[in-house]
Amino acid sequence: MRCLFGRSRREAALREEIDQHLGMMIEENEAAGLSRDDARGAAFREFGGVEQIKEAHRDEWTFAGWEQLRKDFQFALRSLRKNPGFTVATVLILSLGIGANITVFGWMRQLLFDPIPGASDVADLVAVENFADAGDAAGPPLTTSYLDFADYRDHLRMLDVAAMGQGAFAVGGAKDTGRVWCELVSGNFFTLLGVRPAAGRFFSPAEQTDAQNAHPVAVISQDYCRTHFPNAASALEATLWINHEPFSIIGIAPPEFNGTQTPMAFQVWLPLSMYGQVTHTGTWMLRDRGTRNFRLLARLKAGATIAQARSETLALGQFMARRNGEDRGVGATVVPLWQWAFGPSELLLKPMSILMAGCGVLLLIVGANVVNLQLVRALGRQREFGVRLALGSSRWRLARLVLVESLTLALTGSALGLLIAFWLRGALAWLLPAVAMPAMVPAPFSPAVLGFAVLLAVVVAIAAGLTPAWHATRSNLNRTLKHGGRSGGSGASQGMRSVMVMAEMALAVVALAGAGIFLESFRAARAMPTGFSPEGQVLAEFNLATAAYNREQAEAFCQRLAEALEKNPGVTSVSYADTLPLGFRNGNWEEIQIEGYQARPGENMKIFRNLVGPGYFATMRIPFVDGRDFDLKDDARSGAVMIVSQEFVRRFLSQGIALGRRVHGWGRWFTIVGVVGDIKIHRVTENPIPFFYIPIRQEYRPEYGLTFHVRAEAPVDNVIATVRREAAAIDPAIVMFDAQSMSEYIAGSLYGERIAATMLGVLGGVGLLLAAVGLYSVMAYSVAQRTAEIGLRSALGARPVDLLLLVLRQGMRLAGIGLIAGSLIAVGLARLIAGMTETAHPLDPIALLATALLAALLALAAILVPAWRAIRVSPIVALRSE
Amino acid sequence: MSSSPAEKSELLQGTLDMLILKALQREPMHGFGLSARLRTMSLGVFQVEMGSIYPALCRLEARGWVKADWKTSENNRRARFHALTPAGRKQLIEEKSRWDVLSGTINLMLDHPA
Repeated sequence: MRCLFGRSRREAALREEIDQHLGMMIEENEAAGLSRDDARGAAFREFGGVEQIKEAHRDEWTFAGWEQLRKDFQFALRSLRKNPGFTVATVLILSLGIGANITVFGWMRQLLFDPIPGASDVADLVAVENFADAGDAAGPPLTTSYLDFADYRDHLRMLDVAAMGQGAFAVGGAKDTGRVWCELVSGNFFTLLGVRPAAGRFFSPAEQTDAQNAHPVAVISQDYCRTHFPNAASALEATLWINHEPFSIIGIAPPEFNGTQTPMAFQVWLPLSMYGQVTHTGTWMLRDRGTRNFRLLARLKAGATIAQARSETLALGQFMARRNGEDRGVGATVVPLWQWAFGPSELLLKPMSILMAGCGVLLLIVGANVVNLQLVRALGRQREFGVRLALGSSRWRLARLVLVESLTLALTGSALGLLIAFWLRGALAWLLPAVAMPAMVPAPFSPAVLGFAVLLAVVVAIAAGLTPAWHATRSNLNRTLKHGGRSGGSGASQGMRSVMVMAEMALAVVALAGAGIFLESFRAARAMPTGFSPEGQVLAEFNLATAAYNREQAEAFCQRLAEALEKNPGVTSVSYADTLPLGFRNGNWEEIQIEGYQARPGENMKIFRNLVGPGYFATMRIPFVDGRDFDLKDDARSGAVMIVSQEFVRRFLSQGIALGRRVHGWGRWFTIVGVVGDIKIHRVTENPIPFFYIPIRQEYRPEYGLTFHVRAEAPVDNVIATVRREAAAIDPAIVMFDAQSMSEYIAGSLYGERIAATMLGVLGGVGLLLAAVGLYSVMAYSVAQRTAEIGLRSALGARPVDLLLLVLRQGMRLAGIGLIAGSLIAVGLARLIAGMTETAHPLDPIALLATALLAALLALAAILVPAWRAIRVSPIVALRSE
Repeated sequence: MSSSPAEKSELLQGTLDMLILKALQREPMHGFGLSARLRTMSLGVFQVEMGSIYPALCRLEARGWVKADWKTSENNRRARFHALTPAGRKQLIEEKSRWDVLSGTINLMLDHPA
């Protein structure tokens, strides 16, 4: 750029210098007695061509490369314009490949480097994580209690720490109450992240204290403001009712800010100190070290490294584990945001990586395709190149022309790709489960994305232009001119194109087979036995805290709703529980002791559990192995009872019989009255884990979740309508959150696999289509080249079917080699992937065969068009064309 | 190609740069003055085209042998004065000695008895 400015400045100086020179000459001529006009004329004559001087001057001054490059680009544009078909096809193909890559790169970049849009200096943000310290190895990550958070916040010198919890609450005015995801955040949250309000303010110093339930203030998202208020000013005057508690709206978050759990977009932020009030649990939860409900985000203080912060946190964690009974066996560490178990990457990083790989394969196919198109075009230009060489153009210059053309195409494709990416960036929303509100809409034209687009363009241009450029330099002057450039297509170039087509075919098969592997593992995961029967069940989620219920009211509501629902025709059984297996949530656990079982030092005795209503096992169809079900007599007044899973028995009660043994939790002893089959808790792919159930009527708190399980023969929508109607009939203040069939719900838990499978399927399909286009272009060119030969053959009596076979054989040989190579690579790849994921098996041979067959059919179609053209060649026309 | 009068002669190719350096050796000069000086130095034999002088000046400037400044000329015109840089002086000496060897040798050969 500077060079160009420099040039215009220098040219201006030169122009002035020449003007002055002319002026002096005119003066001299006038002094010699000429008239003014004659003096001028003489001066100009003597001086010569001003423009020529400037031109010569330019040659001296400008960096020759720039000037040349400009000319090359002009030439490339001209020659591309002359060939619109080729240009449009190439640019479209390129934009497809580059667009897909930019899109995924944008997502990936955001996940890794900008997981919290709106926060400033993200590089200094880290996460503090607890984990179950299993002695020698770190166990699963744990969330953190409020008191532990306060300790980290107050005692860590390397870190500023903030805490977040979340919940879907009933939010709105009197009428438009809806289920809204709220993030409960410690007072320092916004300051720590460095987010600035779009309107109003964030929490004041007074509102940042630990004093509980003292500051009913709320910050809303730009999106919520837009959909619920006429403008920001009226929102800032409004009162927001959250779970029937009034909150003043004090500020509006900037539009890009969605909270800390991308792809979830939170709509409302409340002080964490309001937790008790909003969940109607009083103040005990924030004063209980055992209530580990919160995630911790931290910012490294100036000069601190993550390693230092980690060792400091580790030491403090060890101290806390010794001092506090509830922290026994709990470790603490610091991890970068992308490794955060409760952060955004956890959900999306793996499917995104797979997608990125898929996009890479697509780009390879695109590259091969462009090489092909350019080679074909270069053949058509052999005569042109020959003439240029004859006129003294250097071979290097020809090669450069081809490269610059390639770069022009790639840059145009890249620009178009950016547009495609702009449209696609929200596409992730379609793939995410309905539970999460999609917020993965990366900034469209961030410098990094733009840079990546240009980089891709340059890499593709060089990679795809090198071979054609090399061929251009090898143009044989004599031969091409002698042959009139007709039957060009040296053996080497022909071979190159064949290799490209085979490579494309192979890559397309790999991409498709890859998609097949993930689809298969998705299907396999869905088909895995869960230990219960989700079919025919409808889930309806409530949160009784939203109606400010106490425990007795909650119990009464559950019982009345269950009875009312059971009276409906088509409903076979109804039950309820506080936890759903196989969801997004972590599940609930309790630290227990088991009579007669000596826990090893450091053994993790935090066992996952569920609080269930009567008839739960029948509704879920979890088989009983031994003992009895809970019934209505198991309530708060009767003896505490428990049902355990088979794995629980195997792990802890292998000696003697399980029934009648006692387990300690919640500060009292429960007696085991039954044993049931194992079910999958977190993922369908997990190994059995110990699990236990207790009657919801003996240990329920209204702040817990509540899900009704309704097994019915009626259509899902009818059942949902029935539940909503019956619940409203009991208490209109009750908000039913999600309602869906349990099969759908479980499918949601597999969305990682689903994203990978869907997107790879799309990429593979596009890749295959591109490979077919490549095959078509090569075959079409080859047929055109062989027009004379084909004409001759048919003149000599070859039947159309012979000609058809001739062309088909040539094309299918290329396709076939590509297919076989691709299949072999796919098999190898499948082995690799099988080692990485839990459910993927080595490639299903039938799936591979189907993929190959599909590819072969498409290849056949791509060849048939030129082949058809070949047999319709009239011998007269063909022979005359030579 | 050239319609210049018979008594005028074309410059030997490649010598213009050296001659410009020589012409600038005494004092900085503007383009007009330079063309006049080249003419007088050659006693009017060499006709130097403007179309050669300016590109040559640019070339010398680009190589750092000459640098130019806007000044006011003897008759109150704004003009660009070209001056030799130290590198330019060195270059002149080098070219001069190379020319001496070359021309001396050529003269020697031409004067060689046949």
